[in-house]
Amino acid sequence: MPTGDEWIEIVRAVAVAGDRSAFAVLFKHFAPRVKAHLMRAGVAHELAEELAQETMVNVWRKAASFDAARAQLSTWIFTIARNLHIDQMRRQRDAHGAHEANDTADGDGADLLAQVAHDAPRPDEQIDTARREGAVREALRRLAPEQVQILRLAFYDEQSHARIAADLDVPLGTVKSRIRLAVGHLRRLLQGMEP
Amino acid sequence: MIAHHPSDELLLAAAAGTLDAGAVIVLGAHVEGCASCRATLRQFEAIGGAMLESTEPELMAPDALAKTLAAIDAPPPPARPAPAPLPRPSLPEGVAWPRSLAACDVSRWHWMGPGMRWSRVTLPHAPDANVFLLRIGAGKALATHTHSGLELTHVMCGSFHDGRSRFGAGDFDAADGDVRHQPVLEPGSECICLATAQGRLVFDGAIARWIGARVGI
Repeated sequence: MPTGDEWIEIVRAVAVAGDRSAFAVLFKHFAPRVKAHLMRAGVAHELAEELAQETMVNVWRKAASFDAARAQLSTWIFTIARNLHIDQMRRQRDAHGAHEANDTADGDGADLLAQVAHDAPRPDEQIDTARREGAVREALRRLAPEQVQILRLAFYDEQSHARIAADLDVPLGTVKSRIRLAVGHLRRLLQGMEP
Repeated sequence: MIAHHPSDELLLAAAAGTLDAGAVIVLGAHVEGCASCRATLRQFEAIGGAMLESTEPELMAPDALAKTLAAIDAPPPPARPAPAPLPRPSLPEGVAWPRSLAACDVSRWHWMGPGMRWSRVTLPHAPDANVFLLRIGAGKALATHTHSGLELTHVMCGSFHDGRSRFGAGDFDAADGDVRHQPVLEPGSECICLATAQGRLVFDGAIARWIGARVGI
């Protein structure tokens, strides 16, 4: 598997030269993971396949805007897939509801928070991204496996929570309070790692 | 100085993409002005990245790469002309619109009581989200109310005290049915809040209830 720096080179080859073999490397690694992530989040198999492909089309189109100083590649691709998923759910709701279909195919609404979150860091927040993301991964490693499992749930929708609560035979509120505990634990770990 | 921030759960839900559209608008307004919540949000997105990386991969369809490359070759969707800036009601000097409202329709200020005005915010991508602005004059008090669902508030300017705490510009508040409060404006300047309610505001008094129902917040 390519290293972090090699991934950056691969994205650059896609952005600068439209390099299809470099894109194929990205596709082979990330498309199956995006699909799996969406399926865990409750997206049906076929739609997850479609959204994973669409995510990769956006990776191609937006490759030039990927900035390794702001986010790791997997985090950047995660946000692209997340925004497409949000838009897809909105379109579905519009189709079911009485509203006219709103054209949000390019994700105006969903992209918004990502834009705000990824504004150029201001002078008082010039923390190195690599260090911050490294800290998150280190904290996840230190977290008990059950807590990582629980944290994963936060990335899935309400219905998945209900399903998981039923699987574990615990009330829905218990799943939610366990998520809260796991987030609190992770935050304490991250705070402890700050210099 | 921001004293009240959204909870980690709300920020995590935003990072995960499970937050509803109205909440994203109000949370986005806070995050835009809050470096610490921006950092937290990015941290939570990094969790998403780590989760994605560690997910057991799912087999893609045999022709998936070919189909994706074909989609790349297809002409990109025509760039939409930059939308004309939407009309905006007036704001006090020195107060700016949060960027999260950029694509939203914001109505003119409507009267809802002496020294109190409100405006309806319509999200193009979620027209049924209940998002609104309240503009309350210095020293006035909003009628005592509770909430049938979660109410999120971002203070754009001014300050108030609601019995629990003092809220000033940049502060964020989440109140649910357990909170029954009466925001009382501090003297000096008027206060503008951007808010979203999942349920309705439930006012105590008959007149306030009537206005609340008429206004639809």
